[in-house]
Amino acid sequence: MLRDVVMWLLAGAGVALQVLVCLGVTLMRDALDRLHYASASTLGVACLCGAVLVRDPASLIGLKTLLTGAFLLLTGPVLVHATARAIHLHREAEARR
Amino acid sequence: MNGWLWAAAVLVVALAPLLWVTVRLPAPEGVVAVEAAGVDATMALLLVARGTDREPFADLALVLAVVSFVGAIAYLRFVEVLRD
Repeated sequence: MLRDVVMWLLAGAGVALQVLVCLGVTLMRDALDRLHYASASTLGVACLCGAVLVRDPASLIGLKTLLTGAFLLLTGPVLVHATARAIHLHREAEARR
Repeated sequence: MNGWLWAAAVLVVALAPLLWVTVRLPAPEGVVAVEAAGVDATMALLLVARGTDREPFADLALVLAVVSFVGAIAYLRFVEVLRD
């Protein structure tokens, strides 16, 4: 019972965060503002993977969820940094022209 | 349809505005929406795997996460090299 409550709370929070990320990326006007919202998707990933793992931790789907979640949580900040750097360098090059 | 599949459906619907942003924006800014769409689609696939109890969808999610990351890094490197 308590496990179901925790699972659905995590799933609901994860979906809500992912929708918020999509809205933020869509509605913001500047690329770095969009990136700020995109970086928040790591929270949504953590919640959704947590919900799946609470449902059944000892299964192949649970193991693959753990792998996927760990990969996204580790590579997310790297991707955000690389994107911000590319946008910054692109803007500098545009300003020099 | 169970709760997992409803959650996956919400994430798939949320891909639509990201697609619109990707099409509308110029190249270096639009990649932010592509990255967000990659994470969104990965999570949708994981929820479908959980909702249908089929492992291949979880495999697809893992592969999509890796391919999305490598593709985005390769494209950003391309943008940096060609900026001048």
